[in-house]
Amino acid sequence: METFLNILISGILLGGIYSLVSIGLNLIFGVVRIINFAQGEFVMLAMYATYFCTTYLGINPYLALFVVAPLMFVFGLAVQRTVLQPLQNEPMMQIFATFGLLILFENSMLALTRGEARSLSGSYSSVLIDVFGLKVSGVRLVVFIVVSGIALALMLFLQRTMPGKAIRAVIQDRQAARLMGVNVERTYLLTFGLGSALAGVAGALLAPIYTLSPYIGGNFILAAFAVVVLGGLGSVPGAYLGGLIVGLIESFSGYYVDPALKQAIWFIVFVAALIIRPSGLMGQVGAEEVGLREQT
Amino acid sequence: MTTSTLALAGTTAARSQSMSLATLVGRYAGLLLLACVPLGLTWNDPYWANILAYAYLFAALACAWNIIGGFGGQFSLGHGVFFAIGAYSVARLYLDLGMTPWLAVFPAAALATLVALLISWPTFRLRGPFFAIATMAINEACFALANYTDHLTGGPRGILIPFRAGFWNMIFVERWKYALLTFGFMSIVVLITAVLRRSRLGHYLLAVREDEDSARSAGVDVLRVKLLGMALSAALTGIGGGIFAMYVRVLDPPTLFALPDIGVKFALISLIGGIGTIMGPVVGALLIVPVENFLRGTLGGAIPGGHLIVLGIILVCAALFLKRGIVGEFTGAVRRIRNRKRS
Repeated sequence: METFLNILISGILLGGIYSLVSIGLNLIFGVVRIINFAQGEFVMLAMYATYFCTTYLGINPYLALFVVAPLMFVFGLAVQRTVLQPLQNEPMMQIFATFGLLILFENSMLALTRGEARSLSGSYSSVLIDVFGLKVSGVRLVVFIVVSGIALALMLFLQRTMPGKAIRAVIQDRQAARLMGVNVERTYLLTFGLGSALAGVAGALLAPIYTLSPYIGGNFILAAFAVVVLGGLGSVPGAYLGGLIVGLIESFSGYYVDPALKQAIWFIVFVAALIIRPSGLMGQVGAEEVGLREQT
Repeated sequence: MTTSTLALAGTTAARSQSMSLATLVGRYAGLLLLACVPLGLTWNDPYWANILAYAYLFAALACAWNIIGGFGGQFSLGHGVFFAIGAYSVARLYLDLGMTPWLAVFPAAALATLVALLISWPTFRLRGPFFAIATMAINEACFALANYTDHLTGGPRGILIPFRAGFWNMIFVERWKYALLTFGFMSIVVLITAVLRRSRLGHYLLAVREDEDSARSAGVDVLRVKLLGMALSAALTGIGGGIFAMYVRVLDPPTLFALPDIGVKFALISLIGGIGTIMGPVVGALLIVPVENFLRGTLGGAIPGGHLIVLGIILVCAALFLKRGIVGEFTGAVRRIRNRKRS
């Protein structure tokens, strides 16, 4: 029983990490209709920025979040303006461009760090917290709490505020939104910035957990794709729940099957979701088709 | 974009209809002879023969990708899987059964086709970027499986094919023989795509790319057309993987499933040369492979990943400024000049 509970808890906490990475990806995806293959690399860059803040400037990684997230917001705006905006209606070229960014960021960081793995000094990852008699990793618990808060805040933002309503309008029908006076281009820009800032938050929170490597983005991005497809394109609660489910599946299959088959498990989740419910748990039915209709 | 490409497709279709098969083959044979010139100049130099062997092989593989990715518009990032299946099958058949690789490429191609059909059937209900993600996920899943099933693939340690030179082993001492081999393979693939392009299936593939719904309403069996295109593409990719296996003779999952070096490379080469053109992938490969080799040599030692930084920049810039590729821009310019003369 205790093993089961331990796997359950570690699955939920892992799911929190996946949710955190997926929410930004899914927001960008639902609104801007761009699949940002480089989203994992955004997280990686944010992790290194946090590492820099902590090691050279002596800022606590959780305080560095307030530096890194705005930085990533600006970075996201720059990328959207220079690379993605000109390719708005060319899905194939978007794939090339964001994949090019992926290769570019990954290897630039490899060149800068000269391939050495780094990790934050200090003993953040060894802090254990007692929850109902079970030992829980403190840093992962923080991730879970923050991602729950972010999901809630984003949902409120999308429901209650004017920019949030504009974003939802664009998700539903960008043409109609434009006719209602929504500045669609600015909504894209805002959303991409938000998605990048979320990658910044993820980077700051994950830096104490993982050993930093230029390739770490690849660890997140596939899981995040599985989450997005499972949860539903463009849905914040979908990405949150989907992340938890994928985390749980991975944790249980890692214990009962084999951790080496992690990617294969993601893939099975992915295909099963596609076949059984292509629009995902919380996505709009038909979104998998709508997502590709050229909307000008 | 759609209307202009449609018009473009229309004119080329009308022109190619009036061209006999012999003229067509002759025309591409001429172009291929031109692609053979670098080999004729440098065959004696093992360094260049090696680069050309790679360039021709990747030209052939990009041509194969182009069948479904360019003509069919189905942006696959999972061709590394068919490539790896081809490589592993040829290696296993050669090592375990002693089958000559010249014959082993055929069962390898058949297996790649079978797997392609099995994984395409569910994923073809997705369009554009969704399809791309799904195929990328397939690539990563197969990477994990290849690492896991080490009795078949040698796992992370890989398979080592011993060096036993001989024609029937498809292992040669001289590099230029490999270059000649991959050149021959490339020629076959180019001629297949040239014939395919003006066949009924070729036109169907283009129709599906331009507008799936219109194609369906015009009576095209969309799924069948996509599956046929994918089957042909995967079979040729599998054969290419087999040839690659006999050339490098060391097969491990990180090499075969590396996205920037294999799966995405096919697409990148096609993009640079011209997606959906017949000679585009050849031009792209003859340009990219030597450039990358040069960068790897000059930057690789000084800056880790340096050549990939340049590759990433090329990819982004090509997506932004060279959407039709070199061949696409070239034929476009020729057509403009010709039209101006006529009017």
